[in-house]
Amino acid sequence: MASARDIPGITLDATFREAAASAVEVRADEVFSFRDRALDTGDIEGVHDMRVATRRLRAVMEIFAVCFPKQQHRRALREVKELADVLGERRDPDVMIAGLEKVAQGLAAADRTGIRGLEESLREEQAGANERLAAMLDRIERDRLRERLIALAVEARLG
Amino acid sequence: MKARKVKGLDPDGPLVDNMRRVIVVRIDELFGFVPAALDPANVEDAHNMRIAAKRLRYLLELSEPLFGSGAKKGAKVVKGLQDTLGEIHDCDELLPLVDGFVGGLRAEDAAAVVASAPPGAEDLDPALSKDAPHRSRYRGLELLMVHTRARRELLHARFVQEWQALEERGFRDELESALQPAEPVPQAE
Repeated sequence: MASARDIPGITLDATFREAAASAVEVRADEVFSFRDRALDTGDIEGVHDMRVATRRLRAVMEIFAVCFPKQQHRRALREVKELADVLGERRDPDVMIAGLEKVAQGLAAADRTGIRGLEESLREEQAGANERLAAMLDRIERDRLRERLIALAVEARLG
Repeated sequence: MKARKVKGLDPDGPLVDNMRRVIVVRIDELFGFVPAALDPANVEDAHNMRIAAKRLRYLLELSEPLFGSGAKKGAKVVKGLQDTLGEIHDCDELLPLVDGFVGGLRAEDAAAVVASAPPGAEDLDPALSKDAPHRSRYRGLELLMVHTRARRELLHARFVQEWQALEERGFRDELESALQPAEPVPQAE
């Protein structure tokens, strides 16, 4: 898992709004840096990293909410949450399948059949989630979410 | 779970004061789920406590440059709690999923067994069930549910132990007293 980048605006002499601007800039940049890897089904860590980065972005947007223009903030936060949900739908089956595998390994070969069937059904669901993720990433690009997040940071700085 | 609103935040005020204000509320939120979440049957509060732990953890990690090692240590402990509660949550998610999957197999098998009965049969011959298409799948799935239930029980007991140890060492006081600036705040000229 990629570790979170330092936020240059989190300093002892900063105001709340200066830190808010810096935090959203850094965390938004982090989220979008994982865009291409998240759609690569052969790289299961890409979607995980983007999900964690989205959670971190959501966290700073909630912590510093009072520093942003209300309406723009609400819309952007809603979209970040939607992105997090779709990333979760794409990622959760990976975790579940890994857990099922572990249990299956401990069972007699004849008892693994049912678990394999469940894994298969999870993989089918996951394929659907990957399509939804691709559509969501296209949508947020079309709706310029990244640019709107940067604009939120600018607004926070201006006060 | 919606986070509790933090009153009195000032966008133009010092970051350190505002962060302290938010952290104090989030600490209170986390501790507010006890004793409810210590009850193994209380799935919802364990889930909400995990979310509260996640919020507090991110906040403490973010505040490390302000509050130094106290925030770092606090974040690590809270992450441990979040992880344990996360594993419990995974079990709570898996159980209904497996149950639903088994229910689907049962429905398909019942339909197949009915279809295999001779036309006009007055009752169902029990022997027809031995050819149910999914008959070999149930045992493994039942064992999976047994394992998941047992694992949840064990993890919850571990969570209770971890929490009790934190209370005994005065973790809440530790966290609150860590909320002092890492170094003196520079005075404005």
